[in-house]
Amino acid sequence: MKVKKLSLLFMLMVALMWFFVACGDADEETVTDNGDGSGETSDENVTYHYFIGGSGRDVNTNETVIGEIFEEQTGVNFQVEYLVGDLNERIGVMLAGGTYPDVVVGAGTEDMLVDAGAFIPLNDLLEEHGPNILEMYGEYLDRFTYPDGNIYYIPFGAEINEYQPMANIDQGAFWIQRGVLKEYDFPEVRTLDEYFDLITRYADENPEIDGMTTVPFTGIGHDTNFFRISNAPNHLAGYPNDGGVMIDMETHEASVYADSEHAKRYLEKLNELNAEGYLDQEMFVMNNDDYLAKLSSGRVLGFFDYGWAFGDARNALQEANDPDKEFMALPIVFDEDIKDQYIDPPAFVQNRGTGITVNAENPERIVQYWDNMVKEENQRLIMWGIEGEHYEVNDEGRYYRTEEQIELVRPQSFQEEFGMTTFSWDWPRINGTFSDGNSIEPRRQPEVATLEYREGDREYLDAYDIDTFSEIFSLPDDRPWYPAWSANIAPGSDADIFEENSDQLLKRHYPRIVLADPSNFEAEWDTFVEAYRSLNVDAYEEFFTRTVEERLNGNWQFGEE
Amino acid sequence: MAQPVNPIQVKERLKYKDKQKVNLQRPKKGPKYFFRKCKEQKELLWMSVPFLIWLFIFKYLPLGGWVMAFQNFRPARGFLDQEWAGFDNFRFLFGSERFLEIMRNTLAMSIINLVLGFVTAVTLAVLLNELRNITFKRIVQTISYMPHFLSWVVVAGLVSTALSMDDGIINTVLLNLGIIDTPVMWLGVGHYFWGIIGASDVWKSVGWNSIIYLAAMTMIDQEQYEAAEIDGASRMQRIWYITLPGIKPVVVILLIMNIGYILESGFEAQYLLMNSMNMDFAENLDIYVLRYGISMANFSLATAAGMFKTIISFIFLFGANKIAEKLGEARLF
Repeated sequence: MKVKKLSLLFMLMVALMWFFVACGDADEETVTDNGDGSGETSDENVTYHYFIGGSGRDVNTNETVIGEIFEEQTGVNFQVEYLVGDLNERIGVMLAGGTYPDVVVGAGTEDMLVDAGAFIPLNDLLEEHGPNILEMYGEYLDRFTYPDGNIYYIPFGAEINEYQPMANIDQGAFWIQRGVLKEYDFPEVRTLDEYFDLITRYADENPEIDGMTTVPFTGIGHDTNFFRISNAPNHLAGYPNDGGVMIDMETHEASVYADSEHAKRYLEKLNELNAEGYLDQEMFVMNNDDYLAKLSSGRVLGFFDYGWAFGDARNALQEANDPDKEFMALPIVFDEDIKDQYIDPPAFVQNRGTGITVNAENPERIVQYWDNMVKEENQRLIMWGIEGEHYEVNDEGRYYRTEEQIELVRPQSFQEEFGMTTFSWDWPRINGTFSDGNSIEPRRQPEVATLEYREGDREYLDAYDIDTFSEIFSLPDDRPWYPAWSANIAPGSDADIFEENSDQLLKRHYPRIVLADPSNFEAEWDTFVEAYRSLNVDAYEEFFTRTVEERLNGNWQFGEE
Repeated sequence: MAQPVNPIQVKERLKYKDKQKVNLQRPKKGPKYFFRKCKEQKELLWMSVPFLIWLFIFKYLPLGGWVMAFQNFRPARGFLDQEWAGFDNFRFLFGSERFLEIMRNTLAMSIINLVLGFVTAVTLAVLLNELRNITFKRIVQTISYMPHFLSWVVVAGLVSTALSMDDGIINTVLLNLGIIDTPVMWLGVGHYFWGIIGASDVWKSVGWNSIIYLAAMTMIDQEQYEAAEIDGASRMQRIWYITLPGIKPVVVILLIMNIGYILESGFEAQYLLMNSMNMDFAENLDIYVLRYGISMANFSLATAAGMFKTIISFIFLFGANKIAEKLGEARLF
């Protein structure tokens, strides 16, 4: 009996402790700046609370090398807090209680914050304290000025000077195991038919890889990831990722493609593959972890996906040191005469950014800090590091990294300690090239990218006679409205509800269409089209056509309630 | 049954009777009686105060938020600045063509979990109770309740690995036994989903749920077993006539309480195991609320759904309680 009582007591204590810990957390949230509150701008050191609605590791900026330099220059330190849990919930709590941190990176909730009056207008502050920001963001300022004439937050990555494409494909593409290309002497693969022919031929000749069954073609559409299956027809037809719509280059009209001939053609192809046993049916069932494990196993021959979405599998394959098992991105299109548009056009996402809240004392200190950090020399520090330590400059003034420097900079721990992780996004910053012509981001600098290639990569680069893997892709055409998906879709609006409904519908019907017996394909497809057309497609298309039109007229704030 | 007379007990009993007699002389109703009773039990009352406060703050105050269900709620606006929507949110909820399907899934999974959960937990408890080897019993008990402490994320990972088409243990076993010819895509067939959820839920919680029944069984007077054994009752008979009736009050109470949760068919399990091929059978009310309410910042819809759930639960709870009362069983209140 005594033992039981004790254990009960123990459990009670644990429960109580939980309670208090939870309360402790809540208290912490109210910690804000320790500004002197004198009202006058002073040079005294202050610490502001910087909330970022994304994942990361909390840090005080002055604990990083870069942050320490910035603190010396401006006397400002930021206590950076990343999101734990659900963003909407967290922002909701802030809004309800008015307990804003000094700076908030909304990560998609900006409209809510502006709506609630959480952000202060930055116009006058920028005028007075932000000459560099105004210069760097010059041509974009209109895009994020609200209809009331105010600027409430500063987006990231203003493109200056020249656009630099990525050296490696981190966008959408049809991927193929490089060994397949090697086997057939590095053929040029352009169309979907050629691509699938190559894969099925290889799968026939190699039913097993390393003792495991070969997976000829797979994909991933779990949970919120269904676009990683349903976006493919759009790319095959020669359009970049504008979201759920294709924008006509001539008429600038938006049209959905989920029930278009393109989609039908792609699904029919998958249906054929499935009937012949080449399709991995689990592509509709797997979760992301299963999928990454499958890719890393080296028995997958091909799939469509976005490069940024399966980085873990790529790293795993790289570490396995079998270059033929790695994947290469191919700009696959339906027909020979379609120009591929896989690479994103220069994009400026105007509806996300960092804003100062009404709770911040002496907000000009924050603007000064930002203004200081977007200076070219400081951007160079954030992106490249210190000359002689983390990069070198050759006689022609080009920046490059030696192999040792590449290895030095690569580890996550270094990037965190130095502050690259913290400062490289979620703060005002520029993109493109410095005034001396070098890329702002090292990964876009060909000199750096090529040095990062290893022996195994070179074989393929040489075989296709290219310097970087993105070279076989076409450069993006000019699409001044890009990306259409950053349109201001108001919560609860027709477009918003359509997106949710359409996502559900595609998820439900695409697998049925693909896995159907070929004789039932048409029937399944017709059922889907009928259901899809019963949604409010017109309102959605109209909204995006208007958005594009407004953007072409320079109005990036268009949105409807 | 005659009981041996214990002098001390008799004395105690007399003392108690005396006290009762004293109480009998006073009125049993009215404010006076109430205050006297309060005074007598003041320690207990004081002890319950913190919990009453907790109950009020966390369970009753938030009910005020139900107003949101009748508004188009936008955060950070004052109460008066909100836009009133009448029953629009309820209309959207009930008017959705998927609503019936979602209710079907919710109730089906809930009932499967309830029935399976009860049957397996009671069975396990009875079996464990019959074990005479204490060490073995302890080991079995520990192993069976361990999964309770795993989070659903982990369990969902285990389940999807076990059900995987290549190398999944279920498919491998069935293939080798010759029951199936080709691997089955378990998570890809909607009709299997409820079963999968039910089975994983049993695996996760059967041990934990059986603890309370085991505890109830220890309360059963051992003399009854001895008497039955002497009378020649077999083991099955002893289980049937002594153990099960002995835990009946606990079972009934738990059943009533669980019926109150009938619309809570769980969230994590379905959310994590759901995919595009079984979603027709996986989506329940909670997932629907998450999709169309919380993640679209439509808090009013979420509130409306919550209100609906509470009212249904309330009806079920009272209904079950009434039925138990009618049947002459133990009841909750």
